[in-house]
Amino acid sequence: MKRTVWAWVLVLALGIAGAQTVGNEPPPDLSPEVFEIAKKLRCPVCRGESAAESNAGVTEEMRRQIAEMLAEGKTEDEIIQYFVDRYTEWILYEPPKRGLGLVVWLAPVIGLGLFGFGLYSYMKVAARREAAADAVGEEDLARLEAELAQDDGSGGQA
Amino acid sequence: MNVRSLLGLALVVALGVLFWWGMQTKDERSELPSALAGRPAPSFTMELLPRYRDTWGEELDLGAYLGKRPIILNFWASWCYPACYEEAPILEAAWRRWQDQVLFVGVNTQDEVAKAEEFVARFGLTFPNVYDPRGKIGIDYGMYGVPETFAISAEGRVIKRHAGSVDAATLEAMIREVLP
Repeated sequence: MKRTVWAWVLVLALGIAGAQTVGNEPPPDLSPEVFEIAKKLRCPVCRGESAAESNAGVTEEMRRQIAEMLAEGKTEDEIIQYFVDRYTEWILYEPPKRGLGLVVWLAPVIGLGLFGFGLYSYMKVAARREAAADAVGEEDLARLEAELAQDDGSGGQA
Repeated sequence: MNVRSLLGLALVVALGVLFWWGMQTKDERSELPSALAGRPAPSFTMELLPRYRDTWGEELDLGAYLGKRPIILNFWASWCYPACYEEAPILEAAWRRWQDQVLFVGVNTQDEVAKAEEFVARFGLTFPNVYDPRGKIGIDYGMYGVPETFAISAEGRVIKRHAGSVDAATLEAMIREVLP
């Protein structure tokens, strides 16, 4: 019984590993390096897809040109510059970390900072209110106790 | 209404406006900048579609015309429907009108020869059309997708880029801009 369970676990694990490998492997005619560079470029005719993921005709040609340039001995930077020269920096899948592009990179950090500051301020005010509420409670308690004691005293006399 | 409620309302309205603005569908391709604007137009030598070979030879070398006369370069494909079908008669009419002063060159992109031939026959396109099955020239021109039209000055520089189907008025304006 135990052996059967382990055999199934092994089959499943191999299946998952196999499925992942198949999904991530580039087509056999192009090297993984081509796809690594294509990942950094946008598909010009798609929305939110890189030149590595898209199956559009223009991205097939982009990948082919990347492969040709690699074969010619060009570096990754040179290849990316080749596309920037033709499409402007718009073609970069990730915005450059300078100028307006820097705003895109910093926006989440700034947003998180503002959220943290807001949360901190809220917690501080809430804690102050709680402390104030506690303080009032003690005073009231003392006053009530005093009143009760007074009532008890007068009740006893009646 | 106290200040806090007003601020809350203003924030909700601001977020609503931002959302509405973001959801506006624009043809962003036509607004994208051309890296080539004002720069020398890339040259190429490409095979012509069979029906143009008697008049223009086996291949067209754009370099032979660059810097000598204005050029209208149009990227198209038979599978680009309806945009390429809409502009084809407009391009042919403009070519017939301006051919003494401007060279028109069509670049059939990522297509099949038979289908491309069928397309040019259907619209009776008489200006030369080259065949670029890989779409290599399109990348050289920073093309986002067919159809796209470039106006090149007599000095051989890219002056205008139009993404999408070009209408008669836009095409005429592009031509007039590159006329010497």
